[in-house]
Amino acid sequence: MTPDEVKYDVVVVGGGIAGQEAALNLANSDQQVLLVEKDLSIGGHMIHLSKVFPTLDCGACITTPKMSETVRHPNIRVSTFSEFTEIERLSDGTFTGLLTRHPKYVIEKDCTGCQDCEDACPVVVKDQYQYGLVGRKAAYVPFSISNPRVAAIDIENCILCGACERACPADAIDFTQKIEKTKVSAGTVIIATGFNLFDPDVIEKYGLGKHRNVITSMQMERQLVPTRPYNNVLRPKDGKMPDNIAYVLCVGSRDQTLGNPICSQVCCMYSAKQGQLLMGALPMADVTIYYLHIRAFGKGFEEFYQQSIGMGVEYVKGKVGTIDEKENGDLVLRYEDIREGSIKEATHDLVVLSVGMLANPEAGTLFMNNALELDEFGYIRQVDMLRNPASTNIEGVFVAGTASGPMDIPDSIASSGAAAAEALSYLKRKS
Amino acid sequence: MVKIRPEFADEIKKFGGVDFNACYNCGNCTAVCPLSVTDNTFPRRLLRYTVLGMEEDIQASTDPWLCYYCGDCSSTCPRQANPGEIMMALRRYLTASYDWTGLSRKFYTSKKWGIGSLVLIGIVVILLFAFFLPFTADPAGLINEDGGVKINHFVKGMDGETFVKTIEIGDLVMAAIITFFLVSNIFNMYLKIVIRNAKKVKVPFSLYVKEAWNLFYHFGTQMRFSKCEGKSYWLLHWLLMSGYTLMFTVIVVFLPWFQTEKIHPIYHPQRFIGYYATFGILLAIIVWSVNRLRKSGEIHKYSHKTDWVFLIMLFLTTLTGIMLHIFRITGMVHFTYYTYVIHLAILVPMLLVEVPFSKWSHLAYRPLAIYFTNLVNKAAALKKK
Repeated sequence: MTPDEVKYDVVVVGGGIAGQEAALNLANSDQQVLLVEKDLSIGGHMIHLSKVFPTLDCGACITTPKMSETVRHPNIRVSTFSEFTEIERLSDGTFTGLLTRHPKYVIEKDCTGCQDCEDACPVVVKDQYQYGLVGRKAAYVPFSISNPRVAAIDIENCILCGACERACPADAIDFTQKIEKTKVSAGTVIIATGFNLFDPDVIEKYGLGKHRNVITSMQMERQLVPTRPYNNVLRPKDGKMPDNIAYVLCVGSRDQTLGNPICSQVCCMYSAKQGQLLMGALPMADVTIYYLHIRAFGKGFEEFYQQSIGMGVEYVKGKVGTIDEKENGDLVLRYEDIREGSIKEATHDLVVLSVGMLANPEAGTLFMNNALELDEFGYIRQVDMLRNPASTNIEGVFVAGTASGPMDIPDSIASSGAAAAEALSYLKRKS
Repeated sequence: MVKIRPEFADEIKKFGGVDFNACYNCGNCTAVCPLSVTDNTFPRRLLRYTVLGMEEDIQASTDPWLCYYCGDCSSTCPRQANPGEIMMALRRYLTASYDWTGLSRKFYTSKKWGIGSLVLIGIVVILLFAFFLPFTADPAGLINEDGGVKINHFVKGMDGETFVKTIEIGDLVMAAIITFFLVSNIFNMYLKIVIRNAKKVKVPFSLYVKEAWNLFYHFGTQMRFSKCEGKSYWLLHWLLMSGYTLMFTVIVVFLPWFQTEKIHPIYHPQRFIGYYATFGILLAIIVWSVNRLRKSGEIHKYSHKTDWVFLIMLFLTTLTGIMLHIFRITGMVHFTYYTYVIHLAILVPMLLVEVPFSKWSHLAYRPLAIYFTNLVNKAAALKKK
């Protein structure tokens, strides 16, 4: 399909849970949808989660059927490893933009996802989908439940040895692929570009990267999922099973020194969730959560938080000031116990930094002349937050999920429903 | 029960506190502070006292003096509530609250009083010279064999010894005034901290003696300062402090030895001490002024007007001192006399205002605070046993 210009009713930018939800709602209303995902697979952040709060449902069990439905839907075309940029609103209220498909060096329709190329590839690099806990090959299927389940060549790390090409039983590997650019026109656009995780490398006093037993909450999340790398919870430095785990909350959130003064809305609850899961995974382990204020504001959240206390998770009020490593890899946390007003030092054998959400800066660059307005925190500005929460400053462009601000999964999905409904209404009004 | 007095926060703003109301009590500042320990947790506690207006607790606390403002708390504060600057503002406030005359508060909070008092004392010094030690001698006879100015023979018919003696009497009167006010303020501080301490303990006499070494040790070395990050800052402060203390001692106690007719060779201790002090003081003034102008580092981000008065007065004193020295050894008689008068008209008000009532009082309050803190904490520990 390479005509000069392709026409859709709706372009959805971002294939996370919000983008999928919006695309499905519109496709089910007989709209032709193009879903553009910059990563190799749709699924966003949610597909990598273990269980989700406050119901402790399995994240993958909720997301994978939705992903399959999205990819197979007759009214949806999914374009992965792609970008949709230079979007412009025309005078008739429709939109044009440029769809850029980056080469995977694999012929998508021929690849069966057999992973023979992976076996053949001699290059090992850090696996970004396991958050660096283990390695992957340069020719690889992104992750076991990716969709589309198609291999890709990581050309930056590839040594061009050709082993994958020889190993592929479907002859699907094609090193001659080039960037494809297609002009796309659409009736309306939904932005669901999601969020970025805060990278705590910049907080020197916490020593992530220096102290190997300090990990991020996503690294812990990966250790708790069914498709986890070690099939157990282990601390990275020596592979010891931890028995005294600390969580440091508000890492990268509510912190003006890091340029993000707002609450990420999910860290309290996912930490309480991981605490509960750890009680199951490591029944003998102590879990301590160092918090500033517990924000259990949603339906069932307070009960969920209380449940974690009931299961034995300990909560200590005070922001951790410094983390120092002992010789045996254990970590000493220095903090002020606010309830007592005294300085304390506590030793833990694994420290999890509960990292917050940051705006995805790409959202602001999608449009010609950066026409899409952002708020002071870099999220897409909701011009009429109370009455039309999905509206942006450009008529006919709608925002879904965390592209408009930090929120949890139920809120994200609700927001996508709103965006889909508003987009549909816009289309009907125009036609 | 604690009575809340929110208007106290406005008062502290006059002493230099900024943005402290933004604090959400996470305790990061206390946790990152290299000097905060179990018995004395700061700065968050003090910030909380300030927000609530708990004046008595602040006045009974030594914590502001135990902080040396490395700025780690402010640079890592998630709310940018400037805990380091509130500690600085509280030090100014405490200086004012120890002072029973109320002058200190006026100097800190009113520009008129601050500058006015310095000008007034300066004029008094000039008038004293005009009445008692006017330049009446014959300029031609004031040159030594070595080409320098006979610095003690400006008054017709007064020999050198009497001239120095007269200046020395003036010095001693000044020293007596400073000592009187400073000691009485210290006594006030002692009452607030040790007698009415929050831990409700009585300090046994033997502890006073046993802990007295703290005073000399911390006055002489400022070792706690070096625990803060940035040893170069500590060294610079030590250079200034040692130079200043040497100069002060020489001028007040050993004036006849220092202010001689004869110009000694350059390696003579009299000249060496002078040069050492000039170097240390000047270097510190230049570095700190540049840093304050550039607002580099947390400690120099905010400058209270009294910080500038302190730096400017010290700079002018040093500058006139250097000029005086040059005029004297090159035999410029008139310039030597008038620079001498101006030098004193700057030095005397600076000492009279700064030492008992303003920024320089910390030379006494800091070591005393460490001493008092040890007294109270150790007495409390004894009581527990």
